[in-house]
Amino acid sequence: MRKKTVFLIVALVLVGGAYIGYRYLYKDHRNIATELAVLDSTASGIQQRFTEGKGDEFLNKTVIVTGTVSQIEENSITLDEKVQCIFSTQMPSATEGSKITIKGRCIGYDDLFEIVKLDQSQLIN
Amino acid sequence: MRKNLQYLLVLLLIITTSSVFAQQKYVTKSGTIDFEASVPSFEEVKAKNSTVSAILNAETGEFASLALIQGFRFKVALMEEHFNENYMESSKYPKAIVKGTLQDFDKNQLSETAQNYKFVGTISMHGESQPLETDISLSRNGTSLEVETSFILKPEDFNIKIPSIVSNKIAGEVTVTAIYALSEK
Repeated sequence: MRKKTVFLIVALVLVGGAYIGYRYLYKDHRNIATELAVLDSTASGIQQRFTEGKGDEFLNKTVIVTGTVSQIEENSITLDEKVQCIFSTQMPSATEGSKITIKGRCIGYDDLFEIVKLDQSQLIN
Repeated sequence: MRKNLQYLLVLLLIITTSSVFAQQKYVTKSGTIDFEASVPSFEEVKAKNSTVSAILNAETGEFASLALIQGFRFKVALMEEHFNENYMESSKYPKAIVKGTLQDFDKNQLSETAQNYKFVGTISMHGESQPLETDISLSRNGTSLEVETSFILKPEDFNIKIPSIVSNKIAGEVTVTAIYALSEK
């Protein structure tokens, strides 16, 4: 009887440990849509932070950016020619010249085009 | 009548000279770079970045490309975290840059059939620069320019240390494939 309880406890610990280990190794990706943004700014505002060399604090952080649509591409929308928002799921419908607000993850500053890039974007307004 | 003709000539002159002096460039902001460092029978080590920028100067054959390290997406979230925090240290070195020239590039020879050019330049990431020589294939597809290349990099050349505990699960040679659809600007 006692042997049986010990066996049961050991088995339970092993299964529990394996489950926790598995959850750690194969945890879900971050969900940018539900994260709180660390910055709510205009397109030129966030771009300026990067050109002044103060943008690195936003790397890998969720931000909200508002601006006028200057270019629409297959999977991205560019705001004021300063922030490119990349959509990994479905592209929202937007028209050039309209003012919109986008939430996304800031992945850095592109010196070739002098733009800030966001991925996993979603249109919030 | 004669004045009209004069206007026309001047106009024609302006149009032709301005097109001669305009720097013809092909650009993209959403090129793709894939890399794979998988070892058979272990979890695949593979990522894709579809936010890569590139510029080709059609007059000189100069080519530059920039990839943001944070833009590489992995299937496994923890692998992406380790890639950014432990290996590439993307908060310190947020980008990878390739710069160089397509040898003997001539924009007038672009055609729909793919042509290979030799690319000679440098690749910089993780605070290190290395020379890069690879073949790049170019083909015209309507108004856009399809650019493709593939090459092999070694993490140790860029001072990227892989701990011995995982070194048998990550290949020593990383295959990088880049595809761009450049449009005229």
